[in-house]
Amino acid sequence: MKNCMRKNICVLRELFYLRFHALMVFRLDFLAPFFVDGSMFFIQLLAFGAVYSHVDAIGNWGRGEMIIYIGTFSLINALNMTIYFFGVNTIPQKVRSGELDLYLSKPISPLFRLTFENISPGSVPLIIMSIGIIGYGIRTLHQTLSVTGVIGYLFWVLIMTILYYEMEVIIRSASLYIVSMARLEQLEEACIDLCMKLPGIAFYGEYKIIFYLVLPYGIMATLPVQRIIGKMNAGTAAYGIGVVVLFSILTAVVWKQGLKHYHSASS
Amino acid sequence: MNDVIIHTSNLAKRYQRYRKREGIRNSIASLWKRDYEEKIAVDHIDLTVKKGELIGLIGPNGAGKTTLIKMLTGIIAPTEGSIDVMGYYPNDMKNEFKKQYAVVMGQKSQLFFELTVNDTLRLFKEIYEIPEKDFQKNKQYFVELFGVRDLMDVQVRTLSLGERMKMELIVSLIHNPKILFLDEPTIGLDAVASKQIRKFLMEINEKNGTTIILTSHYMEDIKALCERSIVINHGVKIYDGATDKLFDRFQKNKRITVTFDDPTEDMALQTENVSILENEAHKKIYQVPKQLVKELLAELMKYEPKDIVVEEEEIGVVVERIYREGGKFHG
Repeated sequence: MKNCMRKNICVLRELFYLRFHALMVFRLDFLAPFFVDGSMFFIQLLAFGAVYSHVDAIGNWGRGEMIIYIGTFSLINALNMTIYFFGVNTIPQKVRSGELDLYLSKPISPLFRLTFENISPGSVPLIIMSIGIIGYGIRTLHQTLSVTGVIGYLFWVLIMTILYYEMEVIIRSASLYIVSMARLEQLEEACIDLCMKLPGIAFYGEYKIIFYLVLPYGIMATLPVQRIIGKMNAGTAAYGIGVVVLFSILTAVVWKQGLKHYHSASS
Repeated sequence: MNDVIIHTSNLAKRYQRYRKREGIRNSIASLWKRDYEEKIAVDHIDLTVKKGELIGLIGPNGAGKTTLIKMLTGIIAPTEGSIDVMGYYPNDMKNEFKKQYAVVMGQKSQLFFELTVNDTLRLFKEIYEIPEKDFQKNKQYFVELFGVRDLMDVQVRTLSLGERMKMELIVSLIHNPKILFLDEPTIGLDAVASKQIRKFLMEINEKNGTTIILTSHYMEDIKALCERSIVINHGVKIYDGATDKLFDRFQKNKRITVTFDDPTEDMALQTENVSILENEAHKKIYQVPKQLVKELLAELMKYEPKDIVVEEEEIGVVVERIYREGGKFHG
């Protein structure tokens, strides 16, 4: 176990190193994401601004909570873009082309390598901007922060980032079972788009089942916000952890069974 | 028996594929009901490979060679039969197993195109957990063997196809694998590059004792490298034995292409059993039994040709002949 960890850390270091070198070969490729991702972020903020300029409250959340919510969702999304999105996103293409063969024949977890081989330093400014929004929300709310509050919040951001990752892997692992899966990615985009604008507390009835359990995008930013504003009870915390554990198991099963289904495209 | 490194028994791989009928009506109907047919890629193959062997897997496109290699490396799971490679069931995908083999696919590159080979090697060093001292020693050995010292620090995308294949071999061999699977390693290479690659493979097999299993469309690869050949057609093993015997018995003809500066018509050739495949004023292609090549060449020289090329029969023709004449033949 210790050896495996050490090996993974060494491979991770090399993957980071290779990615940085590869990005810096083409200066435009290296610098463009800083501007493109930043622009997209501002467009999103403008959309939020337009939606919430005439809305005073959603459920029992006011303007301050909503700003923290938007910042938190952006933060989770930015962590996703920086660390694993561009790697995980290549899974369907690698399955279709048979390039996955080269990952399967190496003595390292193929998912580990795919996850970390395309980190995106160009998305780091989004993390900083998201933290800025969260800070602004906390000021608007006149919220006093404690060390345990911040650690608790970071813990929830971390495990919700893992949940986000698991959802991405599950959806892209469908390519191991079915040939065409573009619609699933569209469904994912639509859900993220909706849940970025509406916090989980706004969902009731069957919508709550969908966005809290089936496609749990509704809890991803909601739970960290509930933690930082001091409105998270033990039941909600247990539920959140339960969902992450459930999806961790599901991801492992879907991925491993998918590899058994892998036919490998003809040479 | 201890020398056996690969053993398969009744190994089979079947796929289901959707058969789509023509027309919009059938497309609509296929939304509810589909016709699937079974495609047998590998059909109950028994195979035993000993340590240090260099074996050629021959067969036309779609014969099942690549599928067999993918099962031996664990990339895909067999549908039926037993498979043992170095004591492992490959599709368990154990890292200890993967550390002991390497696979090179002629049409899939494991190199980072925008980076240098040294960069890829550093990653492979970590993936295979090679100690620094061994890594440097192996790298030095292969760099000298392949004569690529000057190319280690240039972008892979700027390398020629032949140079790139040498690099593919270096990164595959850096961890000293016990078995090297090569799927069409010389595809697209010119004669000089192919010859170089063959020479290196021979050296690696002889000096390091690496077991090599090679698929190729090119007769030259198989003839030059492999003492033992296995011919596969439609997933069935139709020959397993000495390469010499295979070609002596089934490669009966040669193909001779002759070109002329001046238009040359009516050539009244005396050599028997010559068939003409192409007949143009400046170029003619003949098929002639192997034993009569010398006679035909002597005759052709009288017409002062510009160039003469003598080639082996294509692999597909040989496979077809084995199938027709031999059924299951073991040399």
